[in-house]
Amino acid sequence: MEPIRLTHASCSVPGKTLLHDLSVTLAGRRIGLIGRNGSGKTTLLRLIAGLVAPSAGTVRLGETDPFADRKAALRKIGILFQNPDHQILFPTVEEELAFGLTQLGQPQAQALALAKARLAAEGREDWTKRAVSTLSHGQKQWLCLQAILLMGPETLLLDEPFAALDLPTETRLRRQLARLPQRLITIAHRPDDLSDCDEVLWLEAGRLAGFGPPAQVLPGFIAEMTRLGAEDAP
Amino acid sequence: MLSLTSPVETPAHGWRVGPKLLALAGLTLGLFLPAPGWPALALALAVLVAAALAAGRWAILAAWLRLFRPLWPFALLLILWHGVTRTPLEGAVILLRMAAAMGAANLVTMTTRLADLQGLVLWLMRPLAPILPAKPLAIAIALMIRFVPVMSDRAAQLAQAWPARSSRRARARLMAPRALAALDDADRVAEALRARGGAL
Repeated sequence: MEPIRLTHASCSVPGKTLLHDLSVTLAGRRIGLIGRNGSGKTTLLRLIAGLVAPSAGTVRLGETDPFADRKAALRKIGILFQNPDHQILFPTVEEELAFGLTQLGQPQAQALALAKARLAAEGREDWTKRAVSTLSHGQKQWLCLQAILLMGPETLLLDEPFAALDLPTETRLRRQLARLPQRLITIAHRPDDLSDCDEVLWLEAGRLAGFGPPAQVLPGFIAEMTRLGAEDAP
Repeated sequence: MLSLTSPVETPAHGWRVGPKLLALAGLTLGLFLPAPGWPALALALAVLVAAALAAGRWAILAAWLRLFRPLWPFALLLILWHGVTRTPLEGAVILLRMAAAMGAANLVTMTTRLADLQGLVLWLMRPLAPILPAKPLAIAIALMIRFVPVMSDRAAQLAQAWPARSSRRARARLMAPRALAALDDADRVAEALRARGGAL
């Protein structure tokens, strides 16, 4: 698995810097991304996915620049948006699944056949022609995950994948994710979710506040969050 | 148009989309060819009856008949005019020709799956491929089908958000939020496309 390397990477939008001068190498198989609201977690995922370019510094997946070389980046990285409605592009389940494959160069007919085979393997063959608008939130999330997995990336970026899921759906998704051989970089809020990670990255106001194994990063994070929570908002 | 495709299967559902559209074009042309009064009336009536027969079952026939509603004001106008000018045969011909053309066109829409129409459009656009490549066009059509219901959902949400905090009617004031929401959606779609290869 190739390391993901950020070197003095910054990310700004007009009038605001979202990420300041991040230098870090992510090499673990399970990586947790923590930080308060607005600390830049989602921006960091988008930077790694190549959806935005760094305003300074570099981002590399192995040797690949994910923003400039989209073709190579597609085989290396997949991103699951927080809201599946923002991710689904096509009106039916099979088209949604097939799209990524055609983007990797498969002919449409073959891509549709592969999509159907994947649904069959998951016991959901009857979903093939279903309209995506009829799926529940959890089902949409499952569809988005399958659409990315079909493209076979080495790394999955997950933006709060359990937000808005009911408990049984969350438990099922956790089990599916745990089984995946890919590298997972997951945005999380609860420290309990991160104890199994190889590495935890803590962002604070767009800067690196801590990086390392959970036992090293989490105590400081929990102490700081508890301290902040005890105060009233200014 | 999106919701017009009838889920009730009729004989016309099985006809291939290419010949079906070609036949519609031929029939419409034939209907409006100059012809003396009585034969023209007979032809228009025959087309109308044939369309009704092809619609077959009652479930779709009722829906098909409802689609004639927008024609009423014109029918009224024609009847008035041809009553005043005492030319009932000419009036009846125009009226039946209109009804027959509209009935046949609606039948085609109701019995043709959108995917088939899309396939046909893409096939017809092949000569234009150097200027207008087929793949982006196919994606654009699919995006339209996907996002028309999404945007109407969004509009419905906004229409509820207003009365939740106001006792006055929203009227035109929701136009700007709707437009902004559509732009927002467009941004997100662009990002989602890029995440999976975009214009590759």
